[in-house]
Amino acid sequence: MGACGAMLAACGKPAKIRLALNWKPDPQFGGFYAAPYDKHGLDVEILPGGAGTPTVQMIGAGSAEFGIVSADELVVARARGNDVVALFAVFQNCPQGIMAHASRHLASIGDVLKEGTLAIQRGLPYARILEKKYGFDHVKVVPSPGGDISAFLRDEKFAQQCFVMSEPLQAKHAGVDVTVFPVADIGYNPYTTVLATSGAQLKSNPDRAKSMVAAVREGWRVYLDDPKPTNSHMHDLNPSMDAAAFAEVAEAQKPFIEPHQETTQLGSMTAERWATLIGQLADLGDIPQAIPAQDCFRNL
Amino acid sequence: MKRVLPPVIPFVVITLVLEWVVRSGFVPSYLVPAPSAVLRALFDSRGELAAAMGKTSSAALIGFALSTLIGIAIAVLLSSSRAVQRAFYPYAVFFQTVPIIAVAPLLVIWFGYGMKTVIASAFIVSIFPVIANTLTGLRSTDPALRDLFRLYGASATVTLVKLRFPAALPQILTGLRVASGLAVIGAIVGEFIGGQGLGSVVDVARTQQRVDKVFAAVLLASILGLALFGLINLISALTLRRWHASEQGS
Repeated sequence: MGACGAMLAACGKPAKIRLALNWKPDPQFGGFYAAPYDKHGLDVEILPGGAGTPTVQMIGAGSAEFGIVSADELVVARARGNDVVALFAVFQNCPQGIMAHASRHLASIGDVLKEGTLAIQRGLPYARILEKKYGFDHVKVVPSPGGDISAFLRDEKFAQQCFVMSEPLQAKHAGVDVTVFPVADIGYNPYTTVLATSGAQLKSNPDRAKSMVAAVREGWRVYLDDPKPTNSHMHDLNPSMDAAAFAEVAEAQKPFIEPHQETTQLGSMTAERWATLIGQLADLGDIPQAIPAQDCFRNL
Repeated sequence: MKRVLPPVIPFVVITLVLEWVVRSGFVPSYLVPAPSAVLRALFDSRGELAAAMGKTSSAALIGFALSTLIGIAIAVLLSSSRAVQRAFYPYAVFFQTVPIIAVAPLLVIWFGYGMKTVIASAFIVSIFPVIANTLTGLRSTDPALRDLFRLYGASATVTLVKLRFPAALPQILTGLRVASGLAVIGAIVGEFIGGQGLGSVVDVARTQQRVDKVFAAVLLASILGLALFGLINLISALTLRRWHASEQGS
């Protein structure tokens, strides 16, 4: 298959590969839409998702060869016997956070939990870390409204989980100043928007996974350098997000994606980071016991 | 025994087959949980699930009760004249076509997080079958009997209470049977967005990839639906058995 990339004509048509996203086309997937799959002998069909698309199960069940997951999801899946392996981590730092009205003058994430309302997905590990650390006794916890900020805008005492580069910008456009507390502040910093495949796929077709990662890495380089053409393509696929927002988010997410050391490649991962995460999830009781960190990922 | 056995046999067979299929590894347990795992989840989280079941039951029941009262009242009004029916029936149909998933976030804005939103969601999805079936029932009174009432100079109210409403009971009860299941669905959807109850348990368990717990909550929701359905059947048997073919004999 490796040679196939170079001698595409000789090998005939490449087999179609499905890449399942866990949300609609938007800048967090920019590099996947920009990737030159043809060049690497791959024919990739990107399957957009929505709230709750179970990509990790889809990968395990083989209904998609590749998918986008978050690192914590992957660890829990592995602990439950679903052999899913991370190949490329787009967000080196977790872009999730809690946003609150700036007018409340809150100093830390703990202050957010002292009064008012917090909209958060309670099942998420960081929600439970917050609960363990500060308790939810003084704050009313309600389900996350996804990317919708209308309740937030109407109520000064309302805080909600957010993607640092998304909802806060929307709020700003609506004329509300916000304070954002990244989840990484409480020491929870899993890789996010992670390209993953199943252990079986990796075993039966290692070269294809390698080509996929190479194509994706190139795609992200292209997208980080010039997001414009890909943004306009994704905007066609997802017209509900306006063009200006695409440009703005693409710019705002850059610091989370670019590796901090010049020597590291885009998307690469370390065993230490995975081990930290596994320890946190074991402490929470999300996994019965720690699993080997080096099995969770492969830097190809 | 003759009535209980037929539905129990398929239940036992399907449960055993499912258990075997998952245990022998044909289907991985992270996709479909073994029935034994669901039972264990039911047991392990019994406190949480019982509290959630309580919330969902009250919301579904209140929503269903409101649909019954308001739905029947609306149908009576609509049946009062052709003109009224033409003017307002399309708006009743509107409730049937409301995509509750799309509207639920708005309910939160109108009613706030919690019980009220959940009740509103259960009400919206369950009212239409009550209106439609009651209306059909009220409009299909036997003409000969209606003439008889007119002949004796019965007022419109008397005709409604003594003739048209009782005659419409079988259809009304059919509407309520459909509405009972919908009220449970509406409550769960409302809970996804408004928080609390079984809907919230499903949401959290799904995020944690706890399929066993998702199924445990779904099982409880189905039991709730069945109980409501059973309640209507009981009312149906009590009210119809003396005169309607559907509740007599075999």
